[in-house]
Amino acid sequence: MTINDKIKKIKTGMASCGIAAGAEDVLTLLKEHTGDILIDEVGCFGHCYCEPVVEIETTDGESIIYSHVAPNAKSIANILELGEDGRFKINPARKAKELLKVTRLAGVIDPTSYEEYVENGGYAGLTKALTMGREELIDEVKKSGLRGRGGGGFPTGMKWGFLAAKKAEQKILICNADEGDPGAFMDRSLMESVPHQVLEGMLIAAYATGSTRIFIYCRAEYPLAIKHLNIAIEQIKEHKLNIIDGREIDIFVKEGAGAFVCGEETALIHSLEGQRGTPRFRPPFPTDSGWKGYPTMINNVETFGNVPYLIADGAESYAGIGSESSKGTKLFALAGDLDSPGLVEVPMGITLREIVFDIGGADPETTKAVQTGGPSGGCIPVELFDTPVDYDSLKALGAIMGSGGMIIIGKNRCMVETARYFLDFTHRESCGKCTFCRVGTKRMFETLERITAGEGVPEDLDFLAEMGPKVIKGSLCGLGQTAPNPVLATLRYYRHEYENHVNNKQCEELACEKLVDIELDQDNCVKCKLCIKNCPVDAVSDDFVIDNNKCTRCNTCIEVCPKNTIFRVKKGEGFYSE
Amino acid sequence: MSNIKFILDGKEVTAEPNKTIVNIATENGIHIPTLCHNEKVSRTTSCFVCVVKDAKTGRFLPSCSAYPVPGQEIDASSDEVKDMRKTALELLLSEHAGDCEAPCTMACPAHAMVEEYVRAGRDGDFLECLKILKKRIPLPMSIGRVCPRFCEKDCRKNVSDKPVAINDFKRLAADMYYDEYMEELPELNGKKVGIVGAGPAGISTAYFLRLNGIESVIYDQMPKPGGMLRYGIPEYRLPKAILDKELAHFPKMGGIKFECNRKLGENLSMEELKKEFDAVAVTIGCWQPSSMRCEGEELAVQGIDFLQEIALNDWSGENPGKVIVVGGGNTAMDCLRTSVRLGSDDVNCFYRRTENEMPAEEIEIEEAKEEGVNFNFLTAPVKLRKENGKLILTCRKMKLGEPDASGRRRPVPIENSEYDTEADMVIAAIGQKTDAPGGVRTNRWGGIDVSEETYHLEDHVFAAGDCVTGAATVVEGVAGGNKIADGIVDFFSHGLVKPCPEFTFNVSRGHWRSLEKDDLVYLKEDVSEEPRAEFKFIPPEERKTTFKEVAPTISECEIIEEGKRCIECSCTAKGDCKLKEFSEEYLAVPDAIKGERLKNGYDNRHPLIIQDRMKCIKCGICVKVCKEVVNQNLLSLKQRGFSTKVETSFGKVLPLSCKDCGACIEECPVGALDWKIKE
Repeated sequence: MTINDKIKKIKTGMASCGIAAGAEDVLTLLKEHTGDILIDEVGCFGHCYCEPVVEIETTDGESIIYSHVAPNAKSIANILELGEDGRFKINPARKAKELLKVTRLAGVIDPTSYEEYVENGGYAGLTKALTMGREELIDEVKKSGLRGRGGGGFPTGMKWGFLAAKKAEQKILICNADEGDPGAFMDRSLMESVPHQVLEGMLIAAYATGSTRIFIYCRAEYPLAIKHLNIAIEQIKEHKLNIIDGREIDIFVKEGAGAFVCGEETALIHSLEGQRGTPRFRPPFPTDSGWKGYPTMINNVETFGNVPYLIADGAESYAGIGSESSKGTKLFALAGDLDSPGLVEVPMGITLREIVFDIGGADPETTKAVQTGGPSGGCIPVELFDTPVDYDSLKALGAIMGSGGMIIIGKNRCMVETARYFLDFTHRESCGKCTFCRVGTKRMFETLERITAGEGVPEDLDFLAEMGPKVIKGSLCGLGQTAPNPVLATLRYYRHEYENHVNNKQCEELACEKLVDIELDQDNCVKCKLCIKNCPVDAVSDDFVIDNNKCTRCNTCIEVCPKNTIFRVKKGEGFYSE
Repeated sequence: MSNIKFILDGKEVTAEPNKTIVNIATENGIHIPTLCHNEKVSRTTSCFVCVVKDAKTGRFLPSCSAYPVPGQEIDASSDEVKDMRKTALELLLSEHAGDCEAPCTMACPAHAMVEEYVRAGRDGDFLECLKILKKRIPLPMSIGRVCPRFCEKDCRKNVSDKPVAINDFKRLAADMYYDEYMEELPELNGKKVGIVGAGPAGISTAYFLRLNGIESVIYDQMPKPGGMLRYGIPEYRLPKAILDKELAHFPKMGGIKFECNRKLGENLSMEELKKEFDAVAVTIGCWQPSSMRCEGEELAVQGIDFLQEIALNDWSGENPGKVIVVGGGNTAMDCLRTSVRLGSDDVNCFYRRTENEMPAEEIEIEEAKEEGVNFNFLTAPVKLRKENGKLILTCRKMKLGEPDASGRRRPVPIENSEYDTEADMVIAAIGQKTDAPGGVRTNRWGGIDVSEETYHLEDHVFAAGDCVTGAATVVEGVAGGNKIADGIVDFFSHGLVKPCPEFTFNVSRGHWRSLEKDDLVYLKEDVSEEPRAEFKFIPPEERKTTFKEVAPTISECEIIEEGKRCIECSCTAKGDCKLKEFSEEYLAVPDAIKGERLKNGYDNRHPLIIQDRMKCIKCGICVKVCKEVVNQNLLSLKQRGFSTKVETSFGKVLPLSCKDCGACIEECPVGALDWKIKE
């Protein structure tokens, strides 16, 4: 294999998204063929859709990125020859609209290298912070306008101020890394790609608030993040960065056991204490009485990730980014019906249109809505995509900023089924404490199950509209207080879809399995028998008739049919099928 | 810290800073319900039944945990707040699977405390059994013989076996102790009620009034009291010597007087009754036969007239020859079987539908068949005429069509299927109607039109029994009598008429038809699986010749064994359930919100304690009591969401030592953790 002599350094994306796409095999092959050229294992640069990614730094200072790298000799040879094939070209609209601040170093540096972080300006924020007085530091954060990135949007500086004001033998700082929203991966990406940056934010906060102990409550499903955090913690200890004012701060990564509700701060604290992870009534707020009764402050991973550059660049510079009420940048995890899912960082106040269409590359023709805030957020129809993305505008639409998950919903999706899907998640994840959440969400879910099965009655819609707000009002924590959002939002914007299911027993989008049949167009069928061979329940007869009573609507036949002669039709409206 | 001033339901209150809103409300005379709050343990804040509204922010707060903030305006009693509480209760009810009352008690029209008297019988205490019975059944000797056993039809034992022979407990207990048992009676209070009709409803009215210290006179048109018990139900089903014995009890109670041969409109007038008595109860029954609607029907004998004549003749009479009885109800069966006993060997039942649609009790049909009665189904009378001293009944064959309003398939005539049949006597037993006294309001079926809730007719007149409902059973008459008595008692004490709230709220696990054997909750492990106690009938050949009772009372030993078959379905905490109490207060309806109920099972392995997880409302008090008060930590909440349940670690049996503690049981707001012993 010839190796172009301009190659100075090779970087392979080795975050979870890369590994999932096969980056490990690519790395092994690269190592076999590159001799002593330096190969850096870096994190995620946000374009998850084009993993595995290999970046070549040339002796000219140029950067060439190869995307979708196949783990074979041909593609490796192409890279090492600096061939033209597979070169990654960033979508110019995305490049123009994104603003990389928090993720500036993600995918650029080796997450396990303290030195690389420092060489790229890491720990400048901490160094600067330690020269400032505590009050001055907290004022700086207040002035910046930074608000909690976990979803609540509480002003971070104010929270720090509460803890700083407490006099206690121990003060506890907790980093909430229990990122539980399906489809959200901002925090994981940060912890995997720039763990030092998150820890630097924590150390600054610990100094500002006088905290004596740091817990990182990270979900156990993030093994790589946990590994990188622990490596970084060891390096911090080596460099004695955790000794502040002569006092050593213990930093401990606690692995969560998988309960969504443990992302709620009081449930998280209970879990950390070894108790059942259930929220409790506030007040007292954790800053008054938290972990084992000590004053405790909880910030989200991304919030901490913002702090180092906020301090290094200064509050004024930070506050220059974003909208009136929401400052700085925000990470969004784009997923769903779009071609290029991944992580994006944009200034607050950007419109949904810009994020979904310009940056995410979704097709305006086929997009119906976007779900923000994960399963507890709400959907926003495409007609409202000019809404600026900030805490308050989204709330006004019945959605929430949440932690930053954005699921793009195509026109082929049924909104009732979408609401059912999200409520399926939240009702299972209820901790089972509050009546309205435990039973109310269950009853709402059952109602949606009935509606999507074509067994709904008009009163079901009244029940959902009445019970939803009651669940919101009658629940202790954010889970119950937001779980009805997807239902209420879809009812608000897509009531006609609900009515169609209830009144006509039809799903226009052909998404609700119990309301569709599978049809095989015999006139255009080429009799290749792929459908017969692949059907797991033998629902396709030898003369190519589909028995819809047997069929489980798994879509396998539709997917294997080479001539697209198999498709979904409304129940009972098939011409050829039984 | 200084005291806090805030507004509670529009009034300014001052409270110590360490008090929660619920505590302050209680001190100020405002009752806020709460299920999960318990002063003995730390706060859980889970039930949300105690919500109040912060009027300024619009937020709802759990008042058990929220402390007031100075200047706050708390709304603890508005409709909006009450509606939230009601919804919380209805959500809890939707997952709370239990039975407040046993299905047998609920099925009984008179709501006799079935489980309780069966238990007393099982324990061999038949005096106690009778005592419990007589709280709601004043005629146990009669009902113990003639009741169609609504209770047994709903008995959960039906899931896998025959029902408990409930009615036979009544018959035995009454046979054993009826003479010696006298109720504890209050002094007469001076009020006096006139009752018209000495049938089951009238007698019951008098009885329940007497239990409340109210005197009554019962008038009846017939020579002896008892109504249909005496003149409608044949001797072989209810021997009149037994009825006499039963009725003799009432005058003995002091304050109940029978006045016979007094008929409304003849020698008794409503106006006089209304003047003479503080209240009047009309319980005149249904004594007017319904028409057969066929030509020449005047040639037929009316079923109730036929029975009445035989009754007046002391259950004897001439052989009627060939008899045709038209009709398929219990009166028809009585006429058929009476005809058999009068010596006829050609007794025929003509019914226009099939056996499946017959309203008569299955056992009656069975016994009639055994006694040689012929059944002609799908046969309707068209015309009756007399030729040469013989009756000729023209009939038409029928077939079944679409179901009618009653759900039974409608009989449709088959064309040209008429045929004649000869008989010596044709008895019409089609049904009966009320012969309402002049000037009394009636409904579209001819019954007296009273308020459904109170049985109040007008002024101080009430009515119940067959004359309101149409011909029904003895136990339904008793239930009606009980309702009027309650209405009259309320009328006397409050001067107004209010609905009787008892048994209006009941949670049920569901009808046995919707349950599997695994769904049943056995309070004890040793419920008997032995076969049901059955009657030892006199052989049919002997029965045909005598009006003697068809079967003797089942023996004491057998009934005690029978009692062991009872599952004891009712809730151990039925007198002491906060969920029920608050649901009644907030008018929460058990099935308002429907959905899956958990099959979390139950644990009866501890000798004295039952944990019924299906009743649990997950308030968590038991977990906290065991941990924080008892320092044992034996219970914990497991799983998440709707599947959340309270269990011991690894599902182990609660230790025997729990029998000396029971702290969790004392604090359980529902009956999810309870002693097995029922009072």
